[in-house]
Amino acid sequence: MEIQKPLKRGLLNGLSITFMMVKVIVPCYIAIEIIKHSGLIDIISRACKPFMTIFGLPGEAALSLVAGYVINIYAAIAVLAPLGLPAKDVTVVALMLGICHSLTIETPITKKTGANASLLLLVRIVLSLFSGVVLHLVWK
Amino acid sequence: MEMILNALRDSLWLTVKLLLIILPLTISYEFLKERGLFSGTKPFFFMGITRPGLLPLITGVIIGLTYGAGVIIHAIKEHKLGKREVFLILLFLSVCHAMFEDTLLFVVIGANGLIVVVARLILAVVFTYLAYRARLFET
Repeated sequence: MEIQKPLKRGLLNGLSITFMMVKVIVPCYIAIEIIKHSGLIDIISRACKPFMTIFGLPGEAALSLVAGYVINIYAAIAVLAPLGLPAKDVTVVALMLGICHSLTIETPITKKTGANASLLLLVRIVLSLFSGVVLHLVWK
Repeated sequence: MEMILNALRDSLWLTVKLLLIILPLTISYEFLKERGLFSGTKPFFFMGITRPGLLPLITGVIIGLTYGAGVIIHAIKEHKLGKREVFLILLFLSVCHAMFEDTLLFVVIGANGLIVVVARLILAVVFTYLAYRARLFET
């Protein structure tokens, strides 16, 4: 079997993919830093607080959900962990955020593939909210 | 200033991770291709995904959308995956990706990982199947 040619092709492809992804992601990271410091996350999560009961969650969980949606799962966990919520609540948040997270980065990436990114964004948000409500209702 | 430094640090770290993950993938992909593993266009079970589309799908489910998307973009160019199939793959991956990392992070703080994994898989399969049957973007 030939070794050099596929190795070289693989390397070149890998480098070009990485370069392309970096070009998409770096501006997103800068945007995330700006959002983090703008207080926008706090404003949105305060507005969402009253609606947390439909997922059976305490109002404080709103910050974790919004941070997860806009920034990433690590940010969500950093604010969720100190709340010390019961297993059911953590699982509801985990499912909702598993389906929908890091939108500032993943949406531009999705767009880069040529797929309809705004439709997929909508699907993710709707499925996330829907699954949260269902899991809350099903889990007695 | 701190903001820019943070963004640069995160970007640099991501670049390293991308290289470490994508390079072995693209190299092993070339070797597997030499053996003819990704040829053929027979739809994969019932979701309208062809064999060349399987690699980005599996990559995304296991390690995540960011890395999966890189491989998808490559597969689109190489195998001329149709718009519809790309959408189906992305739909599946939007709901169901990075299944190990995402799940374990929450399991650490007390979530039931099995429920999260099963629910995401079911939702992804059902919605991808529905989109496939609805013949979205079919020309």
